[in-house]
Amino acid sequence: MSVPANLYLAVQRRRNRGLTGLYLVVAAFLIVYAFLFPGLLSVNGFSKFTQNWFPLALVTMAQALMLLNGGISLAIGPMVSLGAVIAAVTMGGPFGVVGGLLAVAAVGLFIGALTGGIVAYLRLPAIIVTLAGSFIITGVALILLPRPGGFIPDWFSDLLAGHTPVAFGLLVLLLIGWKLYIATPLGLGIYAAGDNPVGAFRSGIPVERVKVVAFAISGLLAALAGLFVAAQTGSGDPVIGTPFTLNSIAGTVLGGVAFLGGKGTMRGAICGSLLLSVMINVMFFLGFPPVAQYVAQGLIIVGAVAIPQLTSQWRAKP
Amino acid sequence: MKLSGSLVSRSHRALLLGIAAVSMMAAGSTAASAAAKCMKGDREAPYTIGWANIYSVPTWMKQTEGTISDEVDRLKEEGLVDELMITDAQGNAQTQIQQIQSMIDANVDAIVVIAGSSNALDRVISDACEKGIAIVNFDSLVNTDNVTAKINTDSSEWGSTAAQWMVDQLGGKGKIIVMNGPAGISVSDDRRKGAQPVLDANPGLEIITETNTEYNVAPAQEAMTSLLFANPEIDGVLSLGGALSAGSVLAFDRQGREQVPTTGENARQFLELWKEKGLSGWATMQPNWLGALSVYTAVQALEGKDVPAFVKVPLPVINDDNIDSYLERADQFPADGYIYSDYDQALFDKLLAQ
Repeated sequence: MSVPANLYLAVQRRRNRGLTGLYLVVAAFLIVYAFLFPGLLSVNGFSKFTQNWFPLALVTMAQALMLLNGGISLAIGPMVSLGAVIAAVTMGGPFGVVGGLLAVAAVGLFIGALTGGIVAYLRLPAIIVTLAGSFIITGVALILLPRPGGFIPDWFSDLLAGHTPVAFGLLVLLLIGWKLYIATPLGLGIYAAGDNPVGAFRSGIPVERVKVVAFAISGLLAALAGLFVAAQTGSGDPVIGTPFTLNSIAGTVLGGVAFLGGKGTMRGAICGSLLLSVMINVMFFLGFPPVAQYVAQGLIIVGAVAIPQLTSQWRAKP
Repeated sequence: MKLSGSLVSRSHRALLLGIAAVSMMAAGSTAASAAAKCMKGDREAPYTIGWANIYSVPTWMKQTEGTISDEVDRLKEEGLVDELMITDAQGNAQTQIQQIQSMIDANVDAIVVIAGSSNALDRVISDACEKGIAIVNFDSLVNTDNVTAKINTDSSEWGSTAAQWMVDQLGGKGKIIVMNGPAGISVSDDRRKGAQPVLDANPGLEIITETNTEYNVAPAQEAMTSLLFANPEIDGVLSLGGALSAGSVLAFDRQGREQVPTTGENARQFLELWKEKGLSGWATMQPNWLGALSVYTAVQALEGKDVPAFVKVPLPVINDDNIDSYLERADQFPADGYIYSDYDQALFDKLLAQ
């Protein structure tokens, strides 16, 4: 019994190794933040902070899935906008909140799967397909809701983005879900197919199907991030998601997920997104002027990526 | 980034307002309430002011921030304010929510904000209002009425006044070109819509064509240059903002065409060309001191004074009579900036007494 357990721990340790630097940086930022704003440790403070981080965490997971797959998505931001718009348009309708939730989930899964199908079966590069997709999705969102508006019931907004850490709970559930998913053959296949598609195919992994499912889940996560943003703001905005595309890539890469696929961890990506989010608040409480914030943001990102590299080089030396 | 670098100079409002501006119409009718909204009377001077900017890079924004910090410096001397906290959401409405939340966490006494989205900030701003923080929203407005005050000029009036000036200049007869900001942007739409009734009432004024470009000199000049080739007779240019007019004047100049009556905004470049080329012009502005006025309003509310829920700021007009007073001060403003009208506390008191 002890052998597999040790093996599991050994593997996890190896996967964490490159991330130690990031963990330390994130921990340091959280400690500084809690020191500057002790209210973070109250239920309300913790809830509000995690609510602002939550959508970024979701889109970073969505992007991490794509990168692990050996692809990338430029349609994450527009998907967030579309999710928000659909939620805001449908929740006031006859099917209410449940109908809205289902509509958002269905659209996210469908668009994701469709994109995945085009990439996997037509052998087109994900970056081009999702770029084209981003225009189409933005257009659809603008057609559905040309100006910010729509309606989200107050109780639903209060449930997700009120004074309780419901969003954080959902994030924990999602991470557990991810753990379970990569224990399934399709989930494991993501890493194999991303790292070496030909090898994975020869080992009997249904590479195309793995891709389509990963794209579908990624679309679902992005759309749900949109749903959350709609709940948080109480309405829909057809362009609110735009900045998420770049931020999702930043969070993922910061979290040590390789651009070339197959390498990286979801926990790393989540930490990357957490750093991006906590950084904004720490800079505020330190009273950085905006111009310095631009510079500091760049330095922190470069630093968080460079520190693990430097330490591993340093360690490799005799 | 929602706000691309190519739209630098005047685009701030264009893009920010992109979706926002209509809300101000709704708020315009609101009468002053008995006591300033959000105020609980439990805050004491000196106050901490938070300035939640959506995007700090465009020149207009930098100038606006300048008026805010000048006003804060003045209020510091009076002992009313002790600190100004500034955030820049870099065009991201979601980040702006997070930063306003941080301001609430830091328990600032007032928040002055240009909204990145008319709806997205509603909940976080309502939260702040509930905590007794004075919220003053200007330029690009939010939907919620849970604010202490909203402050803005009227885009529709911008368009109608400009069109009326053109009608008067041309005696109601002639061929004009209308230059607009980007299509689908509310500030641009609202100004154009405001001009329409005046144009309808004066059928002698024929619109040859209209342009839609970013609020920058280069694209406007390019558009006007090709129109000049196609149209030998142009009697006026009804330009509706930003640096469009400077582009138009430059195009006329390069083609060796005689300048025609031109409307525009207070871009320094346009005002200088206007004087240099001796054309007859008219301009108005979105005054940068709306920022300073917002800080002043917030402090007034914190001091227990009543302030109107909506402060409509009349559009200052620049014409041939007073342009010299603007150009005299030109060297105090950046070359790609906007020469705004003078302001002082007396003006602010007058606006708040509406």
